[in-house]
Amino acid sequence: MAEVKITDLRKSFGDTQILKGIELKVADGEFVSLVGPSGCGKSTLLRIIAGLEQESAGSISIGTEPVSGIRAADRNLSMVFQSYALYPHLTVAENIAVPLRMRQMTRWQRLPLAGGLMPGAKRREQEIAAAVAQAAETLEIGALLDRKPGELSGGQRQRVALGRALVRAPAAFLLDEPLSNLDAKLRVHTRTEIAELHRELGATFIYVTHDQVEAMTMSDRIAVMMGGEILQCAPPQKVYADPDDLRVAEFIGSPKINVLPAEADAMGRLSVLGRDLPIAVRPGRQTLQIGLRPETLHLARGDAKIVGRVVHLEHLGSELFAQVAVEGLQGRLVLRAAPAQAAALQIGSEAGLDFDPASALVFDAAGMRVREILTAPAKSLAQAV
Amino acid sequence: MTRFNELLKHAVLLFGALIVIVPFYQMVSYSLKSPAEIERGIGGFAGSQALMTDEQCVGRNTPDRSDVETARTRFPGQDDSHVLGQLLEEVRAECQVRPAVFNYTSAFSEAPLLCYLLNGVIVTLSIFVIQVVVALPAAYALSKLRFWGREAVFGMVLFCLLIPVHAIALPIYVGLAKLGLINTYAALVVPWTISVFGIFLMRQFFMTVPDDLVDAARMDGMGELAIVWRVMLPTAVPALMAFAIFSVVAHWNDYFWPRMVVTGDRSLFTPPLGLREFKADIDGSLYGPMMATATVIVTPLIAAFLLAQRKFIEGITLSGMK
Repeated sequence: MAEVKITDLRKSFGDTQILKGIELKVADGEFVSLVGPSGCGKSTLLRIIAGLEQESAGSISIGTEPVSGIRAADRNLSMVFQSYALYPHLTVAENIAVPLRMRQMTRWQRLPLAGGLMPGAKRREQEIAAAVAQAAETLEIGALLDRKPGELSGGQRQRVALGRALVRAPAAFLLDEPLSNLDAKLRVHTRTEIAELHRELGATFIYVTHDQVEAMTMSDRIAVMMGGEILQCAPPQKVYADPDDLRVAEFIGSPKINVLPAEADAMGRLSVLGRDLPIAVRPGRQTLQIGLRPETLHLARGDAKIVGRVVHLEHLGSELFAQVAVEGLQGRLVLRAAPAQAAALQIGSEAGLDFDPASALVFDAAGMRVREILTAPAKSLAQAV
Repeated sequence: MTRFNELLKHAVLLFGALIVIVPFYQMVSYSLKSPAEIERGIGGFAGSQALMTDEQCVGRNTPDRSDVETARTRFPGQDDSHVLGQLLEEVRAECQVRPAVFNYTSAFSEAPLLCYLLNGVIVTLSIFVIQVVVALPAAYALSKLRFWGREAVFGMVLFCLLIPVHAIALPIYVGLAKLGLINTYAALVVPWTISVFGIFLMRQFFMTVPDDLVDAARMDGMGELAIVWRVMLPTAVPALMAFAIFSVVAHWNDYFWPRMVVTGDRSLFTPPLGLREFKADIDGSLYGPMMATATVIVTPLIAAFLLAQRKFIEGITLSGMK
């Protein structure tokens, strides 16, 4: 178990910059997810940590050791691949035993047939068999040990791949989208299992995914990557509630955050769709954007800030999402409502929406978060008229 | 209409199959028949299998003076020429054999066919094993490793595929002669050990093996050579079988190269060279034994193919990786 520290890591293929100065410190025993849309460089980053890809600049250290130039086999890391990458010609037990055999047995002991006669080989074999049995028990795949990967279902293969990773105690576990080939139900189930496994082992996990739900549910911290940079690295709640960047706010959370254009007058007072809000920013900016999570919007009781027409409803049982088209807005607003409110929301009917201005996330035109929110000064009489 | 099309397709296929099979049929048929039947083209597939006289057997056992002396007691009161006649009759009676038996026994007795077959096994297996030892790492490097000039090297492999062996046979022969290797197993094996076809075929197959599998092996602590032998080789078994068929058939049947580098030393003859033993001499061509030899030579190949065919089709699916 060890911490992983990445300093100013850069990677380019030819003229294309894939990673642009990544800084990340994963503490010992921490579960960090790298999450981002495809092509953001998250898998490349993981492969560089693993030693499967060479960095262009920057450094990585595992524990206290810098690992630049050390080959993958010698970095003491375990990795689970998206495609599982099991050896098709070996049984499940043999697959799981491979990392131990390669690391704990000498070249001569590994020889087929003759290897068994080498001194110490038998004892090693027994130790390895015990370790394999234990890993199989942890993952509940004891019954599959004699099968070949070709005879297993996707979920079973995934477990074997996990078993192969955790049969030894590496410095850190690297997981590259291990759940993306599973069906939705199994994915939810395995998600919990991996999180529990992490708690049990207390090991360092670095987990790559494009699915923000996976990242949110499993991680101690999420590193949101886009365009070769880490935009924000923070615990899931913070990334959700307090994003640094509009892109982070848009990527995290489902359904997506609602983004409305906002204007600030000379005094910094904000208005949305022509309605004044009781909040302000420092004067100087004109165009801004505000982000509203679906749950911060609610049906207006009296005077509605935003008026639109319901165009689509999604009943999820425990909650209800309504898509509302608003004149002057390109996208639709998504509102989360309680099922009890279903009667008030009919497709085609008009809906007045309201929100608490304090819960609005304010971003500048470039998408950076504006954290300094002031109470709007009262309008002067002259302006009011 | 579709019925007619089906018939037509089968007719064409049958015709093709016949063209391929007729020489084999002829070979097996000749290997069973007596010389007289072969010459006159009678007797159907297996001939009448009527007893025939093995003239060579008669030649070997022709009675001489001493035989006549010892046999005189058995034929009291007869003159020598009569006794000789009687003895000759007996010898001829003893040398009566069935044509099929005659052909196959002379195939093995007139030429040391077992020795030739053994040579064939040694040579083709050595060639194949060394070809694999060379081609697998080369193909792995060309498909899975990134290094400067990889495409150029692969281009050279493709270029070498275009070079006909006969064009470079003479320089290779001269080289081997200078090294003093003519009339050795090495001369039969060494020129074939680097198979560009093998490299090409295995490279194409390795391209289909997911990179993740190679990366997983690296994470598990394998070096590059360990990956070749422990991961790539087992997954490549179907492709290797295909290559084995090409390689073994080509070198088992090769007549040209052994004929060049094995001059005189009959203990190094490969099976096809064994056929020459029955080419026309004073007795005329012995087609029966010659075809029996040919049948014996092709049998191991056909048997091997039938055995490998199942493996060929089953293979090891790469499904375990997806």
